[in-house]
Amino acid sequence: MTPDLPKSLSDLPVTAPKWVGKPVNRIEDPMLVTGRVEFIDNLTMPGMLHCAILHSPYPHAKINGIDVTAAESLPGVVAIVTGEDAERWSRVGYTSPEGWGTHCMATDKVRFAGEPVAAVAAVSRYVAEDALELIDVDYEPLPVIVDAHAALEPDSPRIFEEHDSNVMYQRDFKWGDVDGAFAAADHTYTERFRWHRVGANPIETFGVISQWNPISETLTCHGSFQTPAFMALGRAAMHRLPTNKVRAIGQPHGGSFGGKGGGRGIDITALLSRKAGGQPVKWIEDRLEYLSAGGGQAWDRFYEASLAVNDDGTVTGLRVKLLDDLGATGEGFGATGAAKPMASFTGCYAIPNAEYDLTIVATNKLPASPYRGMGPPPHNFVLEQMMDIAARDLGVDPAEFRCRNFIPSDQFPYTIASGNEYDSGDYDAAMKKLLEMADYDALRAEQEQARSEGRLRGIGIVSTIEPGVFDWNAYAVIGQKGVGVPEGVSVSIGNTGKIIVRVGFPLEGQGQYTVAAQLLADYFAVDIGDVEVVAQDSLSAPTNFGPGGSRLAVALTGAVLGAAGKIRDKFVRVAAKLFEVQPEDIELMDGKLRVRGVAGGAQLTVGQAAGILIHRTDLLPDGMEPGAEATFVWSSPDRVPPDDDGRVKSYLTAAYACHLVVVDVDPETGKTEILKYVIVDDCGTRLNPANVEGMIDGAVAQGVGAALLEEYVYDEDGQLLTGTFMDYLLPTIHEVPATEKAALVTPSPFTPLGAKGAGESAIHTTPAAIMCAINDALLPLATRATEVPATPNRLWTLLQAAKQP
Amino acid sequence: MKPAQFDYADPRSVEDAVALLQQHGADAKILAGGQSLVPLLNMRLARPAVIIDVGKLRDLDYIRDDGDALVIGALTTQRSVERSELVAREHPLLAATTRYIAHPQIRNRGTFGGSIAHADPAAECPALAVALDMQITVVGPGGARVIAAADFFVTYLTTSLEQDEILTDVRVPKLTPGTGWSIQEVARRHGDFAMAGAICTLTLERGRCAAARIALFGVGAVPVRAPEAEQTIIGQEPNAALFEEAGARASAEISEPLADIHGSSEFRRHLAGVMTQRALTEAFSRAEAR
Ligand SMILES: Cc1cc2nc3c(=O)[nH]c(=O)nc-3n(C[C@H](O)[C@H](O)[C@H](O)COP(=O)(O)OP(=O)(O)OC[C@H]3O[C@@H](n4cnc5c(N)ncnc54)[C@H](O)[C@@H]3O)c2cc1C
Repeated sequence: MTPDLPKSLSDLPVTAPKWVGKPVNRIEDPMLVTGRVEFIDNLTMPGMLHCAILHSPYPHAKINGIDVTAAESLPGVVAIVTGEDAERWSRVGYTSPEGWGTHCMATDKVRFAGEPVAAVAAVSRYVAEDALELIDVDYEPLPVIVDAHAALEPDSPRIFEEHDSNVMYQRDFKWGDVDGAFAAADHTYTERFRWHRVGANPIETFGVISQWNPISETLTCHGSFQTPAFMALGRAAMHRLPTNKVRAIGQPHGGSFGGKGGGRGIDITALLSRKAGGQPVKWIEDRLEYLSAGGGQAWDRFYEASLAVNDDGTVTGLRVKLLDDLGATGEGFGATGAAKPMASFTGCYAIPNAEYDLTIVATNKLPASPYRGMGPPPHNFVLEQMMDIAARDLGVDPAEFRCRNFIPSDQFPYTIASGNEYDSGDYDAAMKKLLEMADYDALRAEQEQARSEGRLRGIGIVSTIEPGVFDWNAYAVIGQKGVGVPEGVSVSIGNTGKIIVRVGFPLEGQGQYTVAAQLLADYFAVDIGDVEVVAQDSLSAPTNFGPGGSRLAVALTGAVLGAAGKIRDKFVRVAAKLFEVQPEDIELMDGKLRVRGVAGGAQLTVGQAAGILIHRTDLLPDGMEPGAEATFVWSSPDRVPPDDDGRVKSYLTAAYACHLVVVDVDPETGKTEILKYVIVDDCGTRLNPANVEGMIDGAVAQGVGAALLEEYVYDEDGQLLTGTFMDYLLPTIHEVPATEKAALVTPSPFTPLGAKGAGESAIHTTPAAIMCAINDALLPLATRATEVPATPNRLWTLLQAAKQP
Repeated sequence: MKPAQFDYADPRSVEDAVALLQQHGADAKILAGGQSLVPLLNMRLARPAVIIDVGKLRDLDYIRDDGDALVIGALTTQRSVERSELVAREHPLLAATTRYIAHPQIRNRGTFGGSIAHADPAAECPALAVALDMQITVVGPGGARVIAAADFFVTYLTTSLEQDEILTDVRVPKLTPGTGWSIQEVARRHGDFAMAGAICTLTLERGRCAAARIALFGVGAVPVRAPEAEQTIIGQEPNAALFEEAGARASAEISEPLADIHGSSEFRRHLAGVMTQRALTEAFSRAEAR
């Protein structure tokens, strides 16, 4: 079934790989930097209408009626839809925990400020927005719940009346003998933490053009889709259409980071197109909509964590209690972010006993979305603070304390308490390299000096896992069942040896087209420019998912190498017949098919072999299907559903990183300045080191944002106070440090070429590292920052309190 | 994020602009660099019926040396002020202040007059206007009048400009020779509006502070002077303890600072003191002993 996939670079049929493993320039970039890429907003279609969406100003209200007559009579308005149309033509969302989904527009009531209530299709966006002002909605305000703890109260108002509480999910997972470990420990430590809402902010917001065809009853959607095939499946379900009647075409787009779920936007434009008799309807989400009603909010969390530690510094138990405020509905897979930490629950450490007491609650805020990292970054922040708290109390250096608890490098593959299996790693080596690069002893001496001058200098050192190659089984415990995430490509080779690889995902920015081209260029020994990557729509592409969960580079490598292997097998049989030898005697090496061990003998080039398969079917072995093409669909091997305790081998790979960061906290202003940032990471074989470095740089930026700047703030009435980039503070180039980086390479034994997922990268580590550094800085004042982001006002408040006698 | 419908006019003279303002009254809004107005339009927070684009009044784009002051035309971009050799030579504090406005892309379009007219209490140029007693010339149907900075800023985003008046130039007094100066602000990010900021000038005579000006921004509905803090220093021998005391005074004498998600009222009050102290310290280091 599965062809043998090369396990390492030396297994590729090339003497020395010329492309894979090299920091190859991205083939995507010339088009991007010269402005030739067709983003969704560039696209226009004959008869196209423009959609504007009316968002609820109330966070919680009954809708007693909607009057659209005035809006309908505005010249230029073609169609208006409301919850009534949504009920008629679609169903409630299925991307929530069972029973916590809604229609794409409010039907009986609104549950968050920003929820779509009606939408207009008009000849221009201007007219459409004018029309919104003419729609009269009769709201009857209901009591608002913003506070997650208040939402748990038995008498709290209900976000969904049909449920008897606002709790979407509750389960206490226990792995090993946690109670025993805590009872027997020499020391136990407990602390509470608060991680405020942050989220994805791609440079381009979501956009879509939907067209309903009333004759064929098909739906076609162009959009900035991260995962077109998956989107299409979702639309088919939402609009009760056969899956082969929905075509999703992914436009190249400006990033996603989880923020382009966009389901409501697609569904609303689809309804509008249907109501408008089939005219295409475009909706470009603007930034106000994105921030208040889009996919940009995630991880609104209250933590309580405990660590059980012995005198010798061995951590024997970890308890994490999480109250996750998911907002008004569970839509958009937001809840999966609370499940994913189980894939690396105990981090880099051999902690045998663990407990995860997880509660997911609904409030009247925007439903939380996935965000790069999908949930572990706050968990890692908590775990790493706890490690520092314990280390400090025991008087052990934080780096040393971590080393004592690392999973030893000879114990891989290693199954952690929560059931996932880590593939490989050498955490100790990474930490040593980090300390050496940073000149750790000198940094501590400088810190001493700084402290003696009254400055608040801190050094943070952390180590974290990045689970890679996501699997649906990781989310099965919260109701997103499934095992495996297949990724397929088709490769075809023309009679001059030029290669086409057809993929199912659009250009998103990570550089995966380059990876596909690198692989094929080496496999068939052609120039990288001889490989063309073609993105196909959901009705054309092989089974695929696309980017997400640090998976695509690995999955794509499996798919590409699988397809290449199938073509090679055909080539070998063609050559064997031609040279009158057995197939076992033929090898593909450096782009030539030749008889093994015979130097200077007859050989076929890749182009010739392909040419025979296309133009000389008379020369083919009996029964061989013509054509030099193959499709291969790859999925992680050996995945199964979770056991009764929720343990599961989920994410296939475990990349890891150690970060060291030095900060100064200004004692007068509470501002944190990053002085030095050093990274050692290991994601196995680096398919394209430049890509990996780009992923790290971007993720560090997002990590800095989460630690110091970004926060979606709601007031007690449920209104978002950070509705623009004036107040939702993304880091800019001025706030993001230049990092010093080094890499270790511990190949994964489980993946093709030994590569590990590396796309989500440093966001797993940076917030934890910066917070550890800040707490190291605050140490002389005997106070601790437990709230993220550590804003100047928050730190100053802590400093003030610490100064009080 | 599309503006409501409006009419558009682009007058070629100040007189025409004033005539249009007179004609449309409260329905009209002047558009200069657009860096503050256009976002307000797009969010439909401002919805004027008529936009009067003064961008074509090129004769309001100049920086002139007028002896004891620089005169800056309202349409001069913030970037031009920042990069002007004349300003660098004659008024380094003015150049330094403009560099705190947002980012180069914004300063390329944002105008000096627009920044003053917009009257954001956290903006730097209005605070400089108050610090230096700039004189603001406005033209209305009855001709020109000059408004002192102290009388110009009324409250949050509100000035004493009449509906039918246009700001045409600003007279920026130079510092007396040897005067030290500083602008200090603390913002969440580089280029953001300040959570609090201070502009200080300090003149020394025989080892004592002969004159001092302190203006604070980001701490109230308008930029304010801190007269008590100024009086704390004037006549005294400058030293660290004095500056700390002046900072504390400044912090105490401002009225309730506006709180927002970035800073509580208490925090901003505290920051105003810290910025004052730091600005005085730096101004002192720049002042020439006489
Ligand atoms: C991201 C960002 C960050 C920013 N950060 C800062 C900052 O840190 N500090 C800061 O000070 N500013 C900041 N700004 C504001 C920016 O500097 C604006 O340029 C400035 O406030 C207004 O100048 P403008 O020419 O763009 O005016 P416009 O936006 O065109 O007009 C602003 C207002 O002034 C009125 N107006 C303009 N010119 C005249 C005139 N000649 N006569 C009468 N009325 C007039 C307009 O009618 C309008 O009400 C920022 C802006 C952005 C977009």
